[in-house]
Amino acid sequence: MRLVCFALLLMVTVALAQNQTGVLRLRVRVKLDDNSPLRGLARKRFFLIPGTLEQNRALLDAIERQPLTSRDCYYQKIGASAALIDWLKEGDCESVYCRAVEKDFVTGPKAVPEFVNAFTASQKEYRNDETARQWVTTNLTPDLRDGFYRDRQRALQALLKQAPAVQSVMTDRNGTAYFTDLGPGTYVLSNLIPTELGQTLVTWNCEVQVKSGDLATEKPYLVSNRKERLVKCVGVEKPKPVCTAN
Amino acid sequence: MRGRREAEASLYRELTPMTRIKPFFILILICIYPCICAADFSHATQKHRAACNTCHKITFPDINDYPSHDACVSCHRRDFFRGARPPICSVCHSKTSPRDEARLPFRNPVSKLQFEIEFPHDKHQDVIALLRFAHAPQGYNNCTICHASRTAMFKSAPTGHSSCFNCHWKSQQPVAGNCNGCHQLVTPHTAKEAPLRISPKFIHDGGGEKKQHVAECTTCHINITKAALLHGLKPDVPITACTECHNKDGLRQDLGKELAAIDKDRNFTCVYCHAPNVGSLDPPERHYLIAERPPIKRKDVK
Repeated sequence: MRLVCFALLLMVTVALAQNQTGVLRLRVRVKLDDNSPLRGLARKRFFLIPGTLEQNRALLDAIERQPLTSRDCYYQKIGASAALIDWLKEGDCESVYCRAVEKDFVTGPKAVPEFVNAFTASQKEYRNDETARQWVTTNLTPDLRDGFYRDRQRALQALLKQAPAVQSVMTDRNGTAYFTDLGPGTYVLSNLIPTELGQTLVTWNCEVQVKSGDLATEKPYLVSNRKERLVKCVGVEKPKPVCTAN
Repeated sequence: MRGRREAEASLYRELTPMTRIKPFFILILICIYPCICAADFSHATQKHRAACNTCHKITFPDINDYPSHDACVSCHRRDFFRGARPPICSVCHSKTSPRDEARLPFRNPVSKLQFEIEFPHDKHQDVIALLRFAHAPQGYNNCTICHASRTAMFKSAPTGHSSCFNCHWKSQQPVAGNCNGCHQLVTPHTAKEAPLRISPKFIHDGGGEKKQHVAECTTCHINITKAALLHGLKPDVPITACTECHNKDGLRQDLGKELAAIDKDRNFTCVYCHAPNVGSLDPPERHYLIAERPPIKRKDVK
C-alpha cells in the first residue's frame, strides 16, 4: 500500500514538474556605431543551449574557432556581380529568396546580370514572362541562389552536433523573440554564427537562468552589442574579415 | 383479388417508418457511392507504393489531376470491364459512364488524407522572410507569400503545388519530382479543422479603425520561427502580444477594464476580443498577471 502511495506521489510530482515550464522573452537592440541610436536587431536567429557556460565550453571554443566569411566575401569569391551583391545587401538577404525579383532587376539599367541570364532561360522554359520572373530562381546556379545560406547552415549543424536539445527562435523586426516551454535551469543564449552588424561581426554567448512559471509577462531579457543600462547580455564584436582575392 | 390487395395494404400499414424510407436510403447511397469508393484507394498497399511518378505525372505549374488510365490498367484491366458501372471508375470519376469523363476534384475533399505534409516553417523563415519591415514594401517576401488574406480576420494556407514549385521546381530540394520530400505516408485520417480562434474579433490586416495592427506575423505568432514540422503546430499568441498596446498606462486599458467588470458582475462577458463562448469563461491567470490584478474565479464573485 505504501509503495502504491509513493508511486502515485512520484507520478504527480513528475507531472507537476513537467508542467512547470518557463518563457524567456528576448529583446535584442544594437548600435551600428557610437552615434547611432539603439534599434531592434531584426530577423536574426538565437539559440538556447541547456547547461552553463562552463558545461558548454567545448561548444564555445568551437564557435570561437570557426572560420568567418561575410556575405560580401562569399559572393565576391564565387564571382557574383557587384549588382547582385548590392541587391542582397539592400535587403539584408542571405539568399536570393528573401525578396522577389522585380521587373527592374531582370531588364533595364538596374538589371542584375545573374537575374537577366536566369530570366532568359526561364522565358524559354515557362513561355510566360510573368511566370519566368516569379520562377527566376529555378534557373540560378545553387551557389548564387543560396550558397552563402547553405554554408552557414552547414557550420551551424556542425556546432549543433555538440549541443543536443537546443531551441532556436528568430527575432521580429523589433528584435523581440520568445523561447517557450523551457524547463527551469541554466541555459546559454547564443547566436552560434556571428551576426554581421555594419563593419563588425557580433557573437553573443551568455548564461541565462530560467525559472518555472510563465515569465512571458516579465520584463524582457535585454541583449545588445553595447554595455548599457539593463542590458544583460553583451556581445563580443570583431571586425569583419577582409575579403581575400579568388 | 380484393383479398390480396387488402392483405398488401395491411402489410404496408404494418411496415415501420424506417422500412418505408429504406429505398430512399439506398438511392442516396447510390448517389454518394463514387465518393465512398474514392476513399477506398490506398497508397499504403504494397503494389501502390511504387515511385510516385509511376502513376502521377509532374505537370507545370501544378499537379492537379489524377493519373491517366495507363496507371491503373496494367494491373486492373479486368476491373475496368466489371459490370455496366465498374466500381474502379469511381476512384477518379464523378460518374461511372464511358460517355462522361468528369472527374472528382483532385485531391478529393471527402476522402481521408493519406499523407502528411512536412513543411519546416523555421527554414522558410530563415530564407524567405528576412526583412526589416512591418508591412513589406512591394516585392519583399514574407509570410503573406503563402498566407494571403482569406477574410479580414483569417489567413489562408496554400492549397496547390505552384506555391512551392516557384522555388522547388527543379534544383532546389525537395524538387517537383521528389514527392516524398514533402508528402509522408501516414495512417489515413480526416483533415483537422482550422485552429480554433479564441479571439475572433482580432483583425489581421490593418486592424480596427486606427489600422494599428501593423506588426509582422511572428511578433505575435511566437512559435513559428522555431517550428520544424507542421505536425502539432499551433498559432500561439501570448497575451503580451495584445497588452503591449491594449493594456498600457496612459494608452488603453481594454483588458483591465473587462477584468474589473467581472469583479463587479460574475456574469459579465468579455467582448473586446472574445465571442461569448470564450468571453463568458473564467479569464486565464496570465490575463490577471499582466493586468496586475489578483486572479479570481467567477463563482467566487458575490
